[in-house]
Amino acid sequence: MTANNKITCKDTTWLVSDARERELNIEEKAALRAHIEQCELCQGASKQFEVLFRQLDALLGKSENR
Amino acid sequence: MNDSKTGNITEEIAAYRMPLFRLALLQLRDEAAADDATQEALLAALESHTRFEGRSSLKTWLISILRFKVLDIIRANKRTLNASSLTALGDELDVSVFDVLFEENGCWTEPKDAWSDPQSHVEQLQFFKILDACLTKLPPLTARAFLMREWLELTPDETCSQIGVSAGNLRVILYRARMQLRHCLDLTWDRN
Repeated sequence: MTANNKITCKDTTWLVSDARERELNIEEKAALRAHIEQCELCQGASKQFEVLFRQLDALLGKSENR
Repeated sequence: MNDSKTGNITEEIAAYRMPLFRLALLQLRDEAAADDATQEALLAALESHTRFEGRSSLKTWLISILRFKVLDIIRANKRTLNASSLTALGDELDVSVFDVLFEENGCWTEPKDAWSDPQSHVEQLQFFKILDACLTKLPPLTARAFLMREWLELTPDETCSQIGVSAGNLRVILYRARMQLRHCLDLTWDRN
């Protein structure tokens, strides 16, 4: 994936999930940021994922470096 | 702590038996083992409840105790999945179920409304309840793999070997879990 590569909403959902598993590389981060910036649908979806992940961490007591 | 307060917390702890059992069952897929883990966690909690500082919710505290009990069982018990659970794997790797959420060109079909972020203790408990219910609706292997990563915090390698899947398959399974949880919450959580 290069920084010029446009990604789709569907691609962003994969990156959002991958970001829970590993640090995204620079190109991935850039593509994700660029897409979300100009896509209202993905702004909404990312906020939902943020709430989901925050509450999962709270419920399951997940720590940063356990 | 006076007696009435001790009595209250004992009852409060006991009231979480079912949610704890269901969580253990999602992970262990064995009622006797899940029951053992729950029982041990409740006993440990009752013995040490004076150490519960109320910084997290009681439920979160109990879940963190249960986590150690479930980890013990999983690590002591090296058995891998039986064949019948493996046949279901194909279904759990199928990401085409989410195609309906996207247009041909990969765009979301519908706007995604903001959820209210639970702020108060009461709201958070409501959110937890729905999250619990949504976790229970995940397919069996998906729930196990997801909770191994997000709750037990096994490494990806350890999770793959416990579930008996490749790293690539694990990525798909975890993606499906997160997509399904978002969708389930979107259908049930009250929005702003």
